[in-house]
Amino acid sequence: MKRDQSDIVNNQGSLSVSDESIARLLCDDNHVEEAVRLIMKKYGEPLYWHIRRMVVAHDDAEDCLQETMINVYKYRSTYSNEYPLSSWLYKIATNESLKLLKNRSGFTLSVDDLGDSLKDSVREEAAPDADETLILLQEAIALLPAKQKMVFNLRYYDDKSYEEIHQIVGDSVNTLKTNYHYAVQKIKDYILEHQL
Amino acid sequence: MKDFDLEGLGREMPYKMPEHFLDDMTERVVAQIAKQQHKQHRERRIIALFASAASVAAVALLFLHPFGGRLDIPSYESISQCASVDEVLQNMTAEELGVYSMMSNYYGN
Repeated sequence: MKRDQSDIVNNQGSLSVSDESIARLLCDDNHVEEAVRLIMKKYGEPLYWHIRRMVVAHDDAEDCLQETMINVYKYRSTYSNEYPLSSWLYKIATNESLKLLKNRSGFTLSVDDLGDSLKDSVREEAAPDADETLILLQEAIALLPAKQKMVFNLRYYDDKSYEEIHQIVGDSVNTLKTNYHYAVQKIKDYILEHQL
Repeated sequence: MKDFDLEGLGREMPYKMPEHFLDDMTERVVAQIAKQQHKQHRERRIIALFASAASVAAVALLFLHPFGGRLDIPSYESISQCASVDEVLQNMTAEELGVYSMMSNYYGN
């Protein structure tokens, strides 16, 4: 299959394939494997960290990422060029993370009630040499309601625009801005309260 | 109240990703997708096999009964060759005749 001229060879010598080409490969039964490899190469790491920031534990992030990629394969025919491929991938990854948290919370609790247990996991999962402020930041994020957490992470860590976050989360841009504002305020309050 | 710059914290994470994690994950996902593709191909082959068998059967039926099949209803001629009611009655035992007359009375002949 021919690739776009926009596909360029980067300075590491590996091919940087455009999202349009990956999407086209994904919809071709004979090139699915190639498409999946390219997605993992290009988006595997950002998707892993996006999921990990939501679910905290590495094992859970591993399950979610695997399920995300299987869903990418299963529902590849539903992908529309209307949205960027990255937004579609983040949307699937976000849904998988929320699904895992929902399963964890059971019937009686909501995902937002998991804050304390996620906060406890942050310290357990942190590397021994991790900076204390970074741990506090992750604890503060873990305590946020799911929607605020998603918006904050996508904006702060993934540098997504509100328009892109809208494509992933679905809320209006104004609602997203409000969520981000509240999230930042809560995080600042938490860190100021707990910082030595 | 002191304030701090959130931006100043940076984007680093306090966690670590295990070495070769993404490569291992890629191989696992590709293997799982290959398994699903194989399963889908097998299902498609079975469906195609059934579909072609049904088509062959339909064509064969068309050749065997080109103008549509007829129900196996006995013709008037074959019915008329049957033994008459009198003949049947003559061959009945006394017991069978008793039952027959009871039934005839019950159903009004």
